[in-house]
Amino acid sequence: MVAPAGFGSPGGTFLPLVLPCCVGVHIYDGFLSTPVWVAMDVAAAPAVGYMVRRAQRQFEESRIPLLGVMGAFVFAAQMINFPVGIGTSGHLVGGALLACTLGPAAAGVVLCAIIAIQALVFQDGGILALGPNLINMAILGVLAGYLPYYLWGGTPWRRVAIFAGGALSVMVSAIMALAELLISGVPMSRSVVGVSLTLFLVSALLEGAITLAVVQALEAIQPGFVRQPAAGRSFARGALGLAAVVLAAVGFLFASTAPDGIESLGHTTGMDHVRRLFTTPLAGYQLALAGEPWLRKTAAGLAGIAIVYGACLLIGRSVARRGRA
Amino acid sequence: MHHVVLERWSRGASPLHRRDPRAKFAALLVFLVVLATAHRALPLLAGAFLLLLGGTLVWARVPLAGAFRRAALVLPFTLLAGAVCWLGGDPARGVGLVLKSYLSALAVLTVVSTTPLPLLLRGLELVGAPRFLLMVAQFLYRYLFVISEEAQHMRSAAASRGFGRRSGGFRAAAGALAVLFARSYARAADIHRAMLARAFPGRFHTLGTLRFRVADAAFLALAALAPALIRAAIERLA
Repeated sequence: MVAPAGFGSPGGTFLPLVLPCCVGVHIYDGFLSTPVWVAMDVAAAPAVGYMVRRAQRQFEESRIPLLGVMGAFVFAAQMINFPVGIGTSGHLVGGALLACTLGPAAAGVVLCAIIAIQALVFQDGGILALGPNLINMAILGVLAGYLPYYLWGGTPWRRVAIFAGGALSVMVSAIMALAELLISGVPMSRSVVGVSLTLFLVSALLEGAITLAVVQALEAIQPGFVRQPAAGRSFARGALGLAAVVLAAVGFLFASTAPDGIESLGHTTGMDHVRRLFTTPLAGYQLALAGEPWLRKTAAGLAGIAIVYGACLLIGRSVARRGRA
Repeated sequence: MHHVVLERWSRGASPLHRRDPRAKFAALLVFLVVLATAHRALPLLAGAFLLLLGGTLVWARVPLAGAFRRAALVLPFTLLAGAVCWLGGDPARGVGLVLKSYLSALAVLTVVSTTPLPLLLRGLELVGAPRFLLMVAQFLYRYLFVISEEAQHMRSAAASRGFGRRSGGFRAAAGALAVLFARSYARAADIHRAMLARAFPGRFHTLGTLRFRVADAAFLALAALAPALIRAAIERLA
């Protein structure tokens, strides 16, 4: 889950620091099957473009240094250890904290820049896997991290919301990464999935606690750092929206673990031979007609993303409309 | 600023260093796609690609052992994923996964260690990546080491005051991070003011314009064909 990436060099070592992947679970080139990374790259391009435009509208170009330096801050924050129990410690991941301080669009842009620099300079994450990583962490992670704060940041539930934001941002990006690996056909037994989910849950709770502690410390220093969302959004509606997002992510995961119905059907009816006729001689991967398992899996994956997107969009719209009314 | 080994490598003067960043990045993408979509005779193909990348690194006068070691940064996590595949009853996929991610990292490293990052980002901007994002990335990279060092100082200061892991420091760590946040914020404001004072026009200037020459086109054609031909040959043989 955590890939240490040091500055180890033959000549002279840079700072004796270890930079674990600081925005969560990275996917490397070679992990995902071709249709999955292609689909995620295609989906990531417009999403990142939209986010950059929003951030640009909010921050005029002269404020670019702020976003860059805050990205550097997230990198550097890995060096501050948070002791938890005997001998173990955690560190800030940062998506939710940035969303609470800079706003979701700017936080997404900062995380995009972090993920790109990590892939290019620190061999942490891949270039073809940039799309999946951006969607998992910079887009869905930030949205999930900001949603509770957006909904309840102005109510007495504020502290719970900040905690939930930190936890959700880590959990959603981890679940997305896990689901993408499963859709790609990485064989994971139920126990492996269970163990990873438990680990993710622990780190998610830790991230929630760290985010809350840092936000409170920040407000003690200077209250202006943390954005103040409008007070009094509907609790029930918010809870419903949050549940929808969580359900969509979890449902995505379950869909990706479901047994291959059509594949087994093909085996029993002898359709395998027919299907082999359609494959291209050119490559090892099958570029053939509908009914291929990968096509179905990709469709399922895209549908999952669309559901998460749709849920976020609808909730955002309805809440905004209520806010204006 | 502390020297980062990658930074030093990327300031070399080999024929590969002189190529246009766009040509190098396009060649990288072709290589990665050819590798990622390969399934047959993967160990053989990986060996051939390793030779190809090794030859390129030698041509670019990048220390070979250092580059191999640096690309191995992906191995801890990759080996874990490979082991999961192996235990899940698909050893071939596990081996393929480890080979592919190591070679991909080595390929990225080959490009990044022969292209200074500002030039690479400028090349990406010219092919249409959003400038706002690339400028944020550039600032991030510039101040990464500054802020990291600041965090390092804070950590040393805490340690020298006998601040261990035992003394219940969750809140104290949160306080330290908040201070780091505030200092980074203030530093960003200073940087912004300094830039305004120097009449920052909203974009970076690079010394010299990037020009896509015939040599770049020839390099791109060669570098894009080589992995594809190697793969076709190996798949024909195997």
